Amino acid sequence: MAPDAGTSAILVEDLVRTYPGGLRAVDGVNLRVDHGEIYGFLGPNGAGKSTTVRILTTLLRPTAGRAWVAGHDVVAQAGAARRVIGVALQEAALDPLMTGRELLRLQGALHGLRRTEAAARGDELLERVELVEAADRRVGTYSGGMRRRLDLALALVPRPRVLFLDEPTTGLDPASRAALWREVRALNDDGTTVFLTTQYLEEAEQLADRVGIIDRGRIVSEGTPDELKSRVGEPALHVDLVDPSQVERARELLAAHGECTNRREGGLTLRMSGARAIAPVVRTLDEAGIEVDTVEVETPTLDDVFLAVTGHMASGDGAGAEGGR
Amino acid sequence: MSTDALDRDAGVQARVVAALAARALRSQFRRAQFLLPSFVLPLLLLAVVASGTSSARRLPGFPSTGAYVGFVVAGTLLQGALLAGLTAGIALAADIEGGFFDRLLTAPVQRVSIVLGRVSGSIVLGVVQASLFLAVAFLFGARYQGGVPGIALAIAIAALAAGGMAGLASAIALRTGSLSLLQNLFPIVFVFLFTAPAFFPRAFLGGALRHVTVFNPLTYVVEGIRGALHDAPALGNPWRGILAAVGLLAATTALSVLAMRGRLRTR
Repeated sequence: MAPDAGTSAILVEDLVRTYPGGLRAVDGVNLRVDHGEIYGFLGPNGAGKSTTVRILTTLLRPTAGRAWVAGHDVVAQAGAARRVIGVALQEAALDPLMTGRELLRLQGALHGLRRTEAAARGDELLERVELVEAADRRVGTYSGGMRRRLDLALALVPRPRVLFLDEPTTGLDPASRAALWREVRALNDDGTTVFLTTQYLEEAEQLADRVGIIDRGRIVSEGTPDELKSRVGEPALHVDLVDPSQVERARELLAAHGECTNRREGGLTLRMSGARAIAPVVRTLDEAGIEVDTVEVETPTLDDVFLAVTGHMASGDGAGAEGGR
Repeated sequence: MSTDALDRDAGVQARVVAALAARALRSQFRRAQFLLPSFVLPLLLLAVVASGTSSARRLPGFPSTGAYVGFVVAGTLLQGALLAGLTAGIALAADIEGGFFDRLLTAPVQRVSIVLGRVSGSIVLGVVQASLFLAVAFLFGARYQGGVPGIALAIAIAALAAGGMAGLASAIALRTGSLSLLQNLFPIVFVFLFTAPAFFPRAFLGGALRHVTVFNPLTYVVEGIRGALHDAPALGNPWRGILAAVGLLAATTALSVLAMRGRLRTR
């Protein structure tokens, strides 16, 4: 066992997966997720996210490298790993002919619960994901959001220590997405480690404690959302003056705070270096008798990060197709 | 109990098999495309054969079983068993293509339990089917001289054969993962059916076909059902029928388990 395998919720070392035909979907991934963390695995279609998740959830064998989930080797101790994970895969794999309640009870049985235990756990989870009223309807009649919520409930049946969510909100409307985010945060508050793949930068920014950006099978950047953003540039301050004729003087004064450029008539953009407080900037102008109309702070987004590290947008075409991986 | 020990716990795995068998049965009854071949088609063929070829019983040497429908219902039980087994394979292929199979694989269950759940569901379905077919045939004049024990034995043989066919169809589903391939196997069922003495005594079959029936285990299944129903060893040996059905079940289930292992090894 690797030294950190027992202390990390997920540990991945030099993971490689090559498909027949030579497609190297995962190309030397290394990562570590701490207990109680939400780790966002961000990348476009075909980047290798789902392949990595399928290896970590024991559905695929790696071509090379090793991975541990809750201390269990996902190949050598696959059975033990399965007992501590919950999995909601990319396409909610639900039997449309079964009802939500029946599926939850089946999931309970698959995880070794007795009939009464499975029924009680199922009822508890139906309440949690607000599907009580639809519980006895066939899943085929559920909306996309309901299916996702049921999929999440199914993943929670075994009270997993590590929860894998593979693009959980793809295709959902904003309200359903927000509801699912709330539920993921609540689960994490209860101590569940969450490994979340997404191609939505906003989702990673909203939910993840740390983000790994994967592109063409490799992790190209990793850190907290703030760390990643700070790597691509400093925040910019857009200042509009009441009197546009004072722009040149203001520019001279603000040069001490960073690189200052004209924005538009009566406006400046200050690319701040070092200290990022707004107050000293405003105070400098105020002491010089320059009246400020509006001040706006623009911080880099994960979009900027993604573009900087991969050279293309997250929602753009990825490298190859991941369908079926 | 350790996590690995839980996976090996026989009680837990028995519950898993029962739950998966219940799901398989539920799917059968909720999916029109499964009900049609499992229940409607065999009864239609029974009606066609019983009415269209009933003059065959006037041929010299045709065994006496009362109403002709009482003779051919054994073939209906066999046909139902084969189609029930095939639909089990189709359902498994649909699970594989639709992703539900992955849900099963991420659960801490022994892989053999997944196969046994599917096969067990078909055995139970075989019991339901056979009981219905015998009841319908009874309404149309069939009488069973074997009494309740003979009927129970016939149902058991048919149900085990359904499990056997489910094992074979599941093996194909696991090997190929192709729903369309399984759906296109329907004609094969009729090849199996008509290379066994399903609707006529073996002695009435033509030369080449009669030789083929010797090597078809379904011959002994259908003759065993007939012998049990009519308490007539001349029509077939029920215990040989049981043996053939159990052998088929064991062989195809083993094949299915091997196909599962192969599928997982190459993932």
